[in-house]
Amino acid sequence: MVEVSTSTEVADRLGNLPEASAVAIRLKAEQYFDAIQGMLDRFATKKGLEVVYVTSTIPSQSIINALEALEIPIDHVWFVDCISQIMMSQAKRHQHAIVVESPTMLENIMLKVEFLLRKHPDRNALVVLDSINSLAIHNNTKILSEFLHILVNNLRSRGAYTVIFSMQEYETDEIRNMLVLVSDETIELGE
Amino acid sequence: MPAKDRDFSGERERCVTGIDGIDHILNGGIPRGNTVLVSGSVGTGKTSICIEFLMRGALYGENSLYLSVTEPTEKLLKNVIPFDFFDDKLMRQGKLQFIDLPKVYEKLGIDKEVVDMESARRLVETIGGMVDEYHVRRLVLDSVTSVCYGLREQERIRDFLLRLGATLSAKGCTSLLVSEIGSSDHGYSRWGVEEALADGVIVTGNLERRGDLLRTLQVVKMRGTTHSRAKYVLDLTTSGVLLVPLLKGGSVTGGG
Repeated sequence: MVEVSTSTEVADRLGNLPEASAVAIRLKAEQYFDAIQGMLDRFATKKGLEVVYVTSTIPSQSIINALEALEIPIDHVWFVDCISQIMMSQAKRHQHAIVVESPTMLENIMLKVEFLLRKHPDRNALVVLDSINSLAIHNNTKILSEFLHILVNNLRSRGAYTVIFSMQEYETDEIRNMLVLVSDETIELGE
Repeated sequence: MPAKDRDFSGERERCVTGIDGIDHILNGGIPRGNTVLVSGSVGTGKTSICIEFLMRGALYGENSLYLSVTEPTEKLLKNVIPFDFFDDKLMRQGKLQFIDLPKVYEKLGIDKEVVDMESARRLVETIGGMVDEYHVRRLVLDSVTSVCYGLREQERIRDFLLRLGATLSAKGCTSLLVSEIGSSDHGYSRWGVEEALADGVIVTGNLERRGDLLRTLQVVKMRGTTHSRAKYVLDLTTSGVLLVPLLKGGSVTGGG
């Protein structure tokens, strides 16, 4: 049996979904960068999507560095960085990154996503939430469910893809229930 | 026959603000000719909302006028958000005009510190004259609070606001009057009468939630249309004023 790489698996499974799909990707920590590669380099590039990448797990600059190392172009990738500001990390920001002060400012995350989608209206979009687990550290389940419900439905009405990362090691029953509620499909990597 | 400001479904004609979130809240825009109080404490986005309202109007072909009381136009324009959609041709063509009200006071010989009833009436007539002369469909007075400081007495303020509202409405001019209030004030205006006389009240504020400060907007009154009365969170961006619903799931403390 031929073993399929994580990045290929992510790209293939996302590629089979119709526009406006909301997908939860359940992954292990060691699959993290491969999953990002498959999603951005293969799936989004092939579909010609504008990517809005919401990161609350690691600073956007770390992801940008990793993408550069993997030689993945970020011309069509825009970051909403919810973690750098509370980490008091470097003041200079990459021109593809905008900052939300804290992952608790969920409305501001929605507003920045909206802003970036308006700035780049010519291509269909993929919005990535990385990750539900880190957002759950800073927000209670009730407000997080409400946030996901509004955001995902808004994106769905625009025909945009939504991908929500969930790290299997940090999942709780509440997070799983939340994902079932808002996602059309759950992709469990390496099943 | 429907009234002249209503369409055949009985709906009043709308002045589409061009700010999607506000038009959505108001089910299509501000009823044409309404005088709306935009009330809030400092830094909550009142002026940005008003300027976008005028710029969008000018882009739609509606002549728009900004009457500045507190800040000279030059300084105001230096600090305004560089909106992506702004085209300085609009100002050159006279579709978007900025006038410093203190200069109008000077011309009329009005002492802005003490404005009597007669002077207030002349001021309203002069504003009405500008609306006619420039065919203005949208007007902003920033701020009505500053004008009211000179009027001092509630009776004069009431008279001024009633006349101003009636004059602008009769000319089909939709207007936003900026009202400055303190962050801890109750009510929506400094003098207490403005909100009662206006056709609509839009309140901007700051909401503190677990140490985060969110800019909010709420339409508490708008004659001539049904509307949402919920609180929204706003962001001032180069793409314009953006709004999303305030999430209610968390513990909320403080007001704004």
